[in-house]
Amino acid sequence: MLFTDRSIWTMLHGIFLGGAALMALSAVLFSLYSTRQANGSDVAAPSQASMLAWLTVFIAMMLWLTVLVGTYIIFPPYRATPPPGLTDLGQYPQSLIQARPDTAWLHAFAMESKEHAPWIASMLATAVAFVGVRYRSRLLNDAQLRSMATTLLAICFALVAFVALMGIFVNKVAPLE
Amino acid sequence: MATKIVPVEAAVRPGRGEVANGTALASFLAAGIGAFAMGFVVVLNEAGIFAAPAVYAPAGGVSGRTTLATMVWLIAWGLLHSRWKGREINSRRVYLGTLILIGLGILGTFPPAWGLF
Repeated sequence: MLFTDRSIWTMLHGIFLGGAALMALSAVLFSLYSTRQANGSDVAAPSQASMLAWLTVFIAMMLWLTVLVGTYIIFPPYRATPPPGLTDLGQYPQSLIQARPDTAWLHAFAMESKEHAPWIASMLATAVAFVGVRYRSRLLNDAQLRSMATTLLAICFALVAFVALMGIFVNKVAPLE
Repeated sequence: MATKIVPVEAAVRPGRGEVANGTALASFLAAGIGAFAMGFVVVLNEAGIFAAPAVYAPAGGVSGRTTLATMVWLIAWGLLHSRWKGREINSRRVYLGTLILIGLGILGTFPPAWGLF
């Protein structure tokens, strides 16, 4: 078989769900930036506000699915304890990367960061999605709300991009196969 | 023929008027509280003060820590929403408070920072 179940879940987690969230985050941030109003007097088109709102809902959904799959499906086999005396640790990624001093940081720093920070990103995205759906065009026309939403999504983007990069590093050295 | 002028907000959400900013600020601040809770629970765990019990044993303690922080977020959101719904709130202070809470929360989940506590 070309791909194992664990490998497919890893790709679903990192490329499909996390990747979709990152792309949608880029689109929303670009849209918020490009449609900003210099004097706040213009009114954003309702259809534009509606599309942005549903795009933020999509981001929140993708991020929640990413963290749930990551925590409850990907992480258990990653941290599984190998039987005593096993020399081939290929099926036990955490033990594999901790066995070598030059890769131990991939767990101590990269994976430890990945365990919790994405949950914060999901909360931030959910907050903005809720406000986007509830407020629609006011979110774009109210300078304070717009600024807060943009800031939270920018933090969200930075967190997701960082943990995605850490995930690539871990998967490069100790892929879940 | 007379043309009926419909306010933008009403055109977007028929039957609903302007929404006060309290609902939005409750959502933002609750996210900040949730972020802080996540960092705080992680720091308590790393300091050996409190370890949240695992919700799903194969995933270990991370399942308990994230569930606990998520519950704090949702409860905070519900409480703030019920108090601020329909009210206009000073957004500057909430904005600042939210950013501080998020910053502390992220710091708490950042492994190099654990040595500071």
